[in-house]
Amino acid sequence: MAKPKVASDWLAGCAGCHMSFLDMDERIIELTKLVDLRATPITDLKEPDKEGVDVGILEGGISNSYNEEVAIKMRERSKILIALGDCAVFGGVPAMRNFVGADEALKRAYIETESTDESGKVPDDPELAEMQHVRPVSDVVKVDVFLPGCAPSADAIFYVLAELAQGRMPEVNDLTNNWH
Amino acid sequence: MIKLTVNELPVEVEPGSTVLEAVQKAGFNVPTLCYHPKLVPYGACRLCLVEVEGARTLQPSCTFPAAEGMKVQTDTEKTKAARHFVLSMLFSERNHFCMYCQDTDGDCDLQQAAYDEGMNHWPITPPYKPYYVDTSHPDFVLDNNRCIICRRCVRTCAELVGNHTLGIEERGSANVLVADGNVPLGESTCISCGNCVQVCPTGALFDRRSMYQGRETDLTHTKSVCLDCSVGCYRVVKTRDNRLVRVDGDMDATFADGLLCEKGRYNPVREDRVRVNQPLIRRDGELQPINWEDALNVVSTQLKAHDSAEIKAYISGRQSIENLSAFQSFFKENYKVGQAALLGHDESAAVSFELAREFGAFESDLNALLEADAAIILGADMINDYPVAGFMLKRKLSDAFNLVMVTKEANALANHFTNRLVSVGENYEQIINLLSCYKDGGVCDETEKIIESEGLAAHRAYRLLQSVQLWQDPVIILGDEFAKLENLEALKKLVRYAQQIGAKVIIMKGDTNSFAASLLGLELNPEVGKSPVAFYALGDGHACHHALEGMKNGGYKIVQTSYMDEFAELADLVLPGKIWAEEEGHYLTTDGRIELNRQALEADGQQRSVSEVLADLSAKSGFSLQTDWQAAMTSKVASIVLA
Repeated sequence: MAKPKVASDWLAGCAGCHMSFLDMDERIIELTKLVDLRATPITDLKEPDKEGVDVGILEGGISNSYNEEVAIKMRERSKILIALGDCAVFGGVPAMRNFVGADEALKRAYIETESTDESGKVPDDPELAEMQHVRPVSDVVKVDVFLPGCAPSADAIFYVLAELAQGRMPEVNDLTNNWH
Repeated sequence: MIKLTVNELPVEVEPGSTVLEAVQKAGFNVPTLCYHPKLVPYGACRLCLVEVEGARTLQPSCTFPAAEGMKVQTDTEKTKAARHFVLSMLFSERNHFCMYCQDTDGDCDLQQAAYDEGMNHWPITPPYKPYYVDTSHPDFVLDNNRCIICRRCVRTCAELVGNHTLGIEERGSANVLVADGNVPLGESTCISCGNCVQVCPTGALFDRRSMYQGRETDLTHTKSVCLDCSVGCYRVVKTRDNRLVRVDGDMDATFADGLLCEKGRYNPVREDRVRVNQPLIRRDGELQPINWEDALNVVSTQLKAHDSAEIKAYISGRQSIENLSAFQSFFKENYKVGQAALLGHDESAAVSFELAREFGAFESDLNALLEADAAIILGADMINDYPVAGFMLKRKLSDAFNLVMVTKEANALANHFTNRLVSVGENYEQIINLLSCYKDGGVCDETEKIIESEGLAAHRAYRLLQSVQLWQDPVIILGDEFAKLENLEALKKLVRYAQQIGAKVIIMKGDTNSFAASLLGLELNPEVGKSPVAFYALGDGHACHHALEGMKNGGYKIVQTSYMDEFAELADLVLPGKIWAEEEGHYLTTDGRIELNRQALEADGQQRSVSEVLADLSAKSGFSLQTDWQAAMTSKVASIVLA
């Protein structure tokens, strides 16, 4: 049997969940024996295979139209989709801006910040993705495995991937369930 | 006993028990949020739903009465689905994002309930509606965004503390927790006891100083007793890396529901005085460092240079029995100084001792307040001086409670009760006469005269006097304003009256350990000052104006203190003392419990306790200190306080 293909990407998050993934240290070598790591933000291949992968992993919430596109593409190309970390599962820290709205958040970040002088200006390049109300991944596409945590521990990530690699659906509760 | 089954297991409970109590007795666990063992069950959160055979719907186990033959199921598909739904609704309502909150990982009951149910996401995304955050209080913050409207805080404030500050405003999802109908907490009638913060199951009410300082499991918990008055509440001292993080009430304790008052909870963490880190000696008008050996030699030399009858020694009532006992042994027995006294003006402990000579053990413990339906309070300010005992009275506001009070200044306690008789002033004997002559059969000739001369409201007075016969569990509380040796005759009359009407008597005994000091034979009410050499064993207490003024008249002043306070400013020799948390020691509460204050912090090595200093000085003088106090203390207490 071919090794299951795994792809990952990050959306509105801090990359911390991927750092936690790397934190599994030498177990990555064991993991690569079990799975075929394809596109990830920290490897050369950037998009999940057109012909699809077995497991897709998304870190971060959906904060703009680009995140939405990436999430939809990952869903279409994955058999099983994992929401990795509190931002993907709940909305997380980026979702704090929902309490004030995107316009207020942009003004605070680009104009009112203590380090900004009078030339401060909200970026308005038409190429930029359109900001949205921040949502968890599951509000946009169907999620099969929720792994909360800020960040989920390396042990929890290893457990989930190792279970999937061995054809079992992981149960995220008790020791692996940690919302922080 | 009621017999029922829980998950097919038979269990017996007392009549009046709830299903939840039966479930717990049967050894099962049902998750709860609004339930708190010290509060009247409320049924607000619906997390404890169980299946009861024959009932149309699931029932909240915390409020549902257990009944004969009932069949209860706690873990069915139906209850699990209901719990999951209840939690989903709670999480969907407000800002319950754990990663924004300091109250996580075992500290939050809401998060723990979700973990226990195996929830790893929320089925419903919250609306991101901001709620009112109140940061006006110096000690804690109220964040309505984290509130689940369980009303534990509201019920604690009303049922346990009797303060009725907190309440809920608005309806449905707009529910907010407010003080006094919408006044910022910091400007409200809040008495800053912090019990609401301790019972909050989420991060809606949180402590300012200890937030983000570690989770409960990161902190070292030391069970101890409060030293901020003589009520002797139980508290848990929480420390981390030899640093005080927070003080909480010990809710496992059997006394006073584990409550604390503002002093007990916040005085230790508000402490901002500068510590004395080494012995200091005054040279050329300035305090300069000196080593311990030289400092102790100075003390010995000074003590030997004068006739011991001229020497005076004072100790603070915050010192432990061990320290009081060493002090008594060193100064009174061995050195035979002119005066070895407790700093304070409270004779109430000595009064207890005198009354016990005539009446035998006559005093009750403070738990009598829990059962009381009437109280006669003479010369005690229960609200300010003994707040937690005050809570036990204040919470009776909504009951048919009768209150008779004589007070120097009108105090807040009297405002709460309808059936009350308050005499402002010091005419204790008139009120005692009024009560006792009425008891002798109808209104005595004096009654009207007394009511008029005391300026009492006649309708209140008569209504209350008529009720005296009906009192089931009256308590008479005496405070330092009246419990003085000069009033001994009046006090005896009162105790006789108490015995006639079957009232319990409690004498409030001032400072933390003044009762013990009195039983050890230390002088009370000393005239501080005028002596060629005086030793002040103060520790971490606050300077009292009276003692400070007297001290200015003295000669050579040796002061053992923890802080650079006004006493240290006047001292010729300053010895660095330990604080309450740095030494273990026993305390005698106002109602005769001998309690252990456990060490929670390490002193830095330069600071020493009073016993350590006196032991060193004894060794220099060839004395041996008497350290065996326990047996004598216990038997003296037993002669005063009823077992």
